[in-house]
This record gives sequence, C-alpha cells and structure tokens, in this order.
Amino acid sequence: MIQWKNIKLILLRELKDQMRDRRTLFMVAVLPLLLYPAMGIGMVQMTVLFSEQPRNVVVLGASDLPKHPQLLEGDHFVSNWFRIPSDAEKLRVITDIEPVKKADAAADVSEDAQQKEILEQAHKLEVVLRKHQELLKQWKQIEDQEDLQQENLLAREITETNERLSKLFAESRIQVLILIPKGLSKEIELVSAKLARHEPIDFDPADSLRPLILENSADEKSMIAYRRVEEVMRSWEKAILRDRLSRANLPESLPTPINPDSIDLAQDEQLAANLWSKLFPALLIIMAATGAFYPAIDLGAGEKERGTMETLLISPAKRTEIVLGKFLTVLIFSISTALLNLASMGFTGRHMVNLAGSGALSKIGDLSFPSYSALFWIVVLLIPLSALFSALCLALATFARSSKEGQYYLTPLLMVTIGLTVFCLSPAVEINAFYSLMPVVGVALLLKGMLLSSVNAGILYVYAIPVLVTSVGYSLLALWWAIDQFQREDVLFREAERFEVGLWLRHLMRTKDALPSFAEAGFCFVIIMLLQFGVMNTMSQAIQMATDAERPLRMMQLLMIQQLAIIATPALMMGIMLTTSVRKTFRLYLPSLGFLGVGLLLPFVLHPLSLELASSLDWFFPALPAGTVAVLKSMSDPNQPIWLILMAFAFAPAVCEELAFRGFILSGFGRRGRAWLAIILSSVTFGAMHMIPQQVFNATLLGLALGLMAVHSRSLFPGVIFHFIYNSLSVLRGRIPETWVPENGLQHFVTMGPDGLRYSWPLLVISAVVAIVLLRWVVLQSNSRADQKSTSVESLTSSAFDRRLTDTK
Amino acid sequence: MIHVDQLSKSFDDLRRGSIVALDSVSFDVEAGEIFGLLGPNGAGKTTCLRMLSTVLQPTGGKATVAGYDVLTQPQDVRTHIGFMSCNTGIYDRMTAWEMVEYFGRLYDIEENELQQRLDRIFTTLQMQDIRDMLGSKMSTGMKQKVSIARTIIHDPPVLIFDEPTTGLDVLVARAVLKTIEALRDEGKCIIFSTHIMREVEKLCDRVAVIYKGKILAIGSIPELEEQYHESDMEELFFSLIQQHEDQLAMKAQ
Repeated sequence: MIQWKNIKLILLRELKDQMRDRRTLFMVAVLPLLLYPAMGIGMVQMTVLFSEQPRNVVVLGASDLPKHPQLLEGDHFVSNWFRIPSDAEKLRVITDIEPVKKADAAADVSEDAQQKEILEQAHKLEVVLRKHQELLKQWKQIEDQEDLQQENLLAREITETNERLSKLFAESRIQVLILIPKGLSKEIELVSAKLARHEPIDFDPADSLRPLILENSADEKSMIAYRRVEEVMRSWEKAILRDRLSRANLPESLPTPINPDSIDLAQDEQLAANLWSKLFPALLIIMAATGAFYPAIDLGAGEKERGTMETLLISPAKRTEIVLGKFLTVLIFSISTALLNLASMGFTGRHMVNLAGSGALSKIGDLSFPSYSALFWIVVLLIPLSALFSALCLALATFARSSKEGQYYLTPLLMVTIGLTVFCLSPAVEINAFYSLMPVVGVALLLKGMLLSSVNAGILYVYAIPVLVTSVGYSLLALWWAIDQFQREDVLFREAERFEVGLWLRHLMRTKDALPSFAEAGFCFVIIMLLQFGVMNTMSQAIQMATDAERPLRMMQLLMIQQLAIIATPALMMGIMLTTSVRKTFRLYLPSLGFLGVGLLLPFVLHPLSLELASSLDWFFPALPAGTVAVLKSMSDPNQPIWLILMAFAFAPAVCEELAFRGFILSGFGRRGRAWLAIILSSVTFGAMHMIPQQVFNATLLGLALGLMAVHSRSLFPGVIFHFIYNSLSVLRGRIPETWVPENGLQHFVTMGPDGLRYSWPLLVISAVVAIVLLRWVVLQSNSRADQKSTSVESLTSSAFDRRLTDTK
Repeated sequence: MIHVDQLSKSFDDLRRGSIVALDSVSFDVEAGEIFGLLGPNGAGKTTCLRMLSTVLQPTGGKATVAGYDVLTQPQDVRTHIGFMSCNTGIYDRMTAWEMVEYFGRLYDIEENELQQRLDRIFTTLQMQDIRDMLGSKMSTGMKQKVSIARTIIHDPPVLIFDEPTTGLDVLVARAVLKTIEALRDEGKCIIFSTHIMREVEKLCDRVAVIYKGKILAIGSIPELEEQYHESDMEELFFSLIQQHEDQLAMKAQ
C-alpha cells in the first residue's frame, strides 16, 4: 500500500529544498524572467545601432545610359527603382563619368583617390572580361567543327581567363561591376521611336547590345549587392517598357495579359499564430526537458553525493513513495519552467511589438498571445510531456553516482529531444495517426497544429486522445523504470570502482552462466541494429550497381548474407562466448510432438489474420519507401526459381531470426524470471529490427506468438517451423496469378483484390477460433510450469541465484 | 530483540568477481545491552547493519529485528529501529529542527507529541541554539547531534550505530558514546560497530569480532579474555585475525 501522506511529505520537503537552492531557482525562475526581456532589449538596441555598410557598384560606360528614364542619380541608383526607397543608400555607385567638381573638394581628396583606385581595378577587369567573352564566342563557333585539338586549347584558355577574372574580382573592392555597351541609349531610343511609329524592327534589340553584370554569388557581400542591382534593373527595364508602350499608344498592361488579382485573408491573429506555432511547441518541449534536468540531478545523484540517500532509505517511507515524491517535485519544476518561459517570452514579445509600433520589428510578425483554448491545450499536453521527461531524468539521475555523472547521462536525452523538436519545426511535418503515437513528436505536432489554425482545430481534436493516452503511457513506463532503478542495490550503492574494458571483459567471461544476462540480451539487440544500420548503405549500393536483370537475384543473395552475418552471427558469437550452455541459450531441444503440430498449424491461421489486420490499418502507417516495395516485388518475381525465393525470404529468416530473437535475446530477457516481460521485450525488439512501421507492427504481434511457443515448448524448433511456413505463405500469396478466380466454394473464403489474394470473413473467423485454441493450448502446457520449477530449483543451488537477486531487487 | 541467523550477502565486483561480504553470520542482541561489532574496515560490518536496517537484502539466512522479519516486513522493521552511520548525512538546505521534524513525520508521530518530543530531545542534546541553523552551516559535531536526534525521534526499541564516532574529535566522540550509554540505560537494544578497541572495552556488554565476513569470536569481554587467555583486548583481536589468516593459508595449500 502506498501512503500518500509520505509522498506528500517527501514532495513538500524536496520542493522546499529546491526553493532554497540558488542554482535551481536561477534556472527555473530567474533565467526565464530575465532572459527574454534582456534579449528584447538587446534586439531593440541592435536594430537601433545596426546600419548596413554601403557596397560598391561600378558602372563603366555610364555615359551611354539613356537619360530617360534615369538610372543613376549622383553616386546612387535612383531610389524609385527600389521597393524600399531607403535601400538606395546601401549601394554606392562609381561611374567613369568625370564628377562635377564641388566647392569643398579638398575634403574629398581621400575619397577621390579611393574612387580612382576602384575605377582602375574596374578597367583592368573590363579588359580581361572582354577577352573572356571573345573566347566564349569563339568556343561557340568551333563547337560544331569537332576539332578536338583546338577545342582543348580554347578550353584551357577559357578556364585561365576565368580564374584570372575571379582573382582580380576578389582582390578588388568592387561588389558588382556593370558594363554598359557603347550606343545603348541610342539604340533604346531608336527602337522606341520605331515602335512609336509602328515600324517593323529587323533585329532583336535584346540580343545586340546587352549590358554585362559581374558578381560572385559565393561572396555574401557581392551576392546581396547583386540582388539589389537585379531589383533595380528589373524595375528600370519595366519603366523603359512602359515608356515605349505609352509612346506607341498601347496599354501599359500589355506585358501582363492575365494579371490575376490575389487577396490575402491572413488576419493579424493568424499571422501571430503562425509565429507562435513554430516557437511555442519547440520552446515548450525544450524547456520542459531543461526544467526536469537540473532538479532531477539534484534529487537523484545529488542526494547520493551529499550522503543523504541512506538517511532517506532507512526511514519508513517505501522506495516507491520516495520515487513518487521526488518525481512529483521534478514534474512541478519541469512544468513551471516551461510555463514561466512561455509567459516571459509572450509578454516580452507583446511589449516589444507595442514599443516598436509599425517599425522595423513588425517584420518579425505579430507577437500577440495565442487564444485561451490553445493555452488550455498547452497546459493539458504539457503535463504528460513533463511527466515523461521527469521520470526519465530521475531514473538516469538515480543511476548516476554524482551530479557530474548525472549531467553526462542526461545530455544525450536533451540532444535527442532537441533533434525531435527540430524535426517537428519543419513546416512539411504535420500530425497524422502514426506521429500521434510517437513520444514527444505527437505532442509537438499537435500543439503546432492547434496554434496554427484556430479555425480547423476541430479535426485536430481527433488526435488529442491518442496523443494524450500514449504520452501518459510513455510517462508511466518511464516512471516504472525510475522506480525499478530505485529498488536496485547495485544502483543505489554503486561505489566508484575503476572501470577498464579489459577488466570488464574478464568479468563477463568469469561470471558466465548457462543463460545470457538481461543486459547482454539488450546489447545483442543493439549490435544487430547497429550492424543493420551500418550495412544499409552498402546493400542499397550493391543493389543499384546490379543490372536490371540480375537485380532480384542480387537482392536475394544480399538478403541471405544479411540474415546470416548481421542477425545470426552476433547472437551465436555472444551465445558461445558469454554463456556456458549454448544448447540451453538457443533452446536446441527437441519439442514434444504437440508443439511441432502447433508450429505447423498456427502460421496457416495467423497469416490471414495478420494480413487483414495490417491492410485494415494501412491508413495509419506512412507509405512504404520505394526500396522496400522493390524488395517485396522481387518476392513475387515469376522469373526467379521458387526455391531461391523461399531460401531468401523464408528459410534464412526462419533460422537466423529465431536464433537471435527466440534464442539469445529471449533467454537473456527471461533471466529476470518474468516470462511475460521477456516475451514482450523480445517481440518488441524483433519488431523494431524490421525498421518499416508496417512490418514492425506485424512482426511485434507475431513475435508474441513465437515467444509464447518458445518459452512454453522450451524449444526453438516450433518457432523455426512457424516462421518458415508463415514467410512461405507470404511468398506464395504473391505468386498467385492475378487472373486466378476462386471457385468450387473457395470464393466464400478468399477473393482476388487488386493487390493480390484477400481473405473473407468466414475464413477469418475460423482462423481466429483455431488460433485462440492453439495459443491457449500452448499456454496451458504443463511444460512451462515444469520449466519454471526446474530453473528456479537449479538457480537456487547455483551461484546464479545470488546474482539474480542483486540484479533485480 | 535482534535475532540474526546464518545471514549472508554476496555481490558482484568488476575486479574480484562474486564477493562474499558476509558469510553465514549469527548472533542475538537483547534489550538493554550494547552489542559491539568489532572489525577492521571492509570486514562486513556495514553490510551486516545495512541488511538489518533493510536497506540491503540478504542473499541467504534470516534476521528479525524487534520481532519483524527484515525480508518480509521491511516497513515494520524500519519503523522500529533508529539507524545512524557515517553515511546517513543530513540535508544541507534544512535547519536542524526541520530535519528532525521531517523524519518524525515520516515515522508517523502524532503532531502534538512530535513537537513535545522534539523540544525534549533538543534540550537533552543541548541543540536549542542550533535549531534554526542550516545543515550546510553546521560543524561536524553539530551534524552528529542532529543525526542522533533524527535516530531517536520516534523512540525506537532497537538502535543501530555504524561507526558513529568516525571523524569526530575526542570531545564530540565522548558525548556520542555517553548518549549511547544513556540509551542503553533506558533499556534500548543497541548494536554498535566500530574498529576502535577502546570504545568496545568501555561501552559494549558483548562483542563479536568480525573479519572478512566471518565472526571469529563472540561473547562478553571477560568471557573472551578467559576463553583465549589474553587480558588485552587489542592483543586478543590481532591474535584472532592472525589465527584466521593462518587457517586460510592452510586451506589454500
């Protein structure tokens, strides 16, 4: 029985304790309250102080610019050509026209010298540029002649001048160079005059005399200056065009014959929502994690470090009560940190908008507060989210020996959280059924959606229930883990022992048992996953390298190699090295005939059930990646011999995966004595190994059946048989010709759909009944009881018993 | 009050493999007596006492404390013992009064009575002047007083002291020992571990010499002296250890 009085006592004490801790107070309360206003002040200061350096634009041949419409005005572009007229100040134009001497010329001596230098650089560039253009023109001419030698020579020259050009440009202080061809203004005038008289023009005016603009987009300064020049040129060109049109008595709208009108319906509130929807969930999640981080370290590792852990352990409070008290404390801090941060940010933002009015800051977007219903959802979703972080942090912090160690363990958690948050920030990522079940991601995306559209939030409430239920589920799991950590002596009384890899390996060898340990099983799974991840690239490359004809064959070869090398080998190696009984670890015993029968029969009834279940849940999962579709297709490739396909898709997985998951991993997880936990864990890892959500789901369910059979029959073989038949059925189903029509009564049980054979409900009902009967028989087998008894008697007498006790409690 | 029967504990160590920290230890302690566990560091004293306080679980054997089994009734055991060791620190950010009050509440003492008891204990232990001092500001002696107050706040019939004088100066150590003596005179059942001979000679009614997880000898000091024909406790201790080492060496051969 848990006593709430004790939990409350511990909670109140921890809260008081944390409130007296300057570090926690700083992180939780002072930092958010000061940080955002400080950042706001900083931003205002920056905008006041910020001014952009003008960039140098050199215009050579400026005398050939038309007088009307005017492009240049003094040493700037005419400000009309900019969308924001003040942008004209940001570009300084240097021309080769002799400037009119001013009266106070003396002051501008240094300025003049500078301009002269820049102009000189521009002229040098012009020479090289002309040569470069000449070469390019030659290139075009000889391109069709197929004279290799000349081509090579020219190509080398072109690259040479190109290099010289970029070198000169980089050394100069010019950001953009504009060359105006001779006679441009005359030609523009000529064309305009001809158009006005409606005379035909017998040359392409845009081709004959084109100004040349030189920039370097790799250099940020040059790139920004060029963008502005481009803007100027475009509006200037349009002005010339308008001028021509009006002189020719044509409507000015001629170049835009359709000219659609668009209306922006966005209201201020929605614009604000847009900004909030990006910032709020990200900030909320990161702050909930940070808010749990520091108190958890102090309550877990800090308590050990200060030597008060044992004081608490000898009090009458149960360990579960202690953990719950501490957990609630961390939870409160996590929630309040997140909310304080949001509030502080919200108020600062609003204040700044009021302050700046419609000034430069209004470009950031309106920062008014989200609606009340959105705020309500923030709080509701924050609780399970914070609970998850609090429990995880507390478990890790309990495991750590010191605060420093705690920080090392918790930093990866924070990194993963930030990674997930960044993923959710992407505008393309929206909540769907699948994401709603993922930890952290579900909450982030739901909040994002709710803040984004207050109007169609109705659809989103559908996701609120799965998100809430799974979030609560994840936090309960994490809490369970934290409590488990707190009940382990080796975690609570870990002493600083020297850790060396060699020592540890020797320790592993020395303390070998008949079966692998829990940690070893977990490690085996991690190795399998890492190897799989590692060879993924190599495999897909090898498949792509193959020609179309040999691709299916190559794919199957690789599949078999993968099964053998990545799944079976690690498990077998670990089994041989880390256990004393390979036979026991991998359950290499002959089962009773009954179990063999179940192994033979069960796949035939489970295959239709799982197929129909999977296809009825199709909407839930993201679409299959193209690569997988190709692999699955090769399964039903009629050009391949059936035995090869069965080898690759049925036999190899049946042996290799069973060895790994129902052999080593299940045995290891079962060491703790909780068979149901071992079965669930092994099936979850078995599912996770399949990577693709659909298969993960399917494999996890089948893993449960396989695990049950393995545990109760004490043998690997029924599972191997089941696995082989099950996979073979999938292969054979794909090979049924599309034209086949079920008849002779079969049509009541199966139909042919566009995606192959489908099972009808009478068959499904029969299958379900048979499956239940078979599985029930498996569970009821006395074998299992005998198994448990024999192992427990054995472990009592062996040294493993001691270890198990220290392992678990 | 304390009944220990074949109690064993072993755990894994990276360097040395499976270690037997306590090897089938048995003894009894009655009310109104101080039972000493005498042994060098690492002998298994702390492990033994931690198991009696249910913080660790035994891997073999049985023990009952104040009539409750440490394995099956850990809650009841913890409410009926007071435990103090050099590892039971006090909270830095709590005052002496808050600290003892907090544990009193965890022991489920009725609030009125708790306040009265607190006042009485703070007076007898001469702690009234530090009642509002934070743990981080206290000297080692003050902390030790708070620990003692915490240990006896619920008036437990059984008290376990694990090297309570380690790191204390002579004056404070003497005060602690006096307190323990006074508690014995109140009729408490006290188990007391130490590696200091003089403390055993002065304080303990009976003593067990423990070394490498095993009890080498057990009895009152006069009994032991007579049994081993050695009048000096220190000499007796060393000769017991020597004897045990010789036996181990013999076995190894």
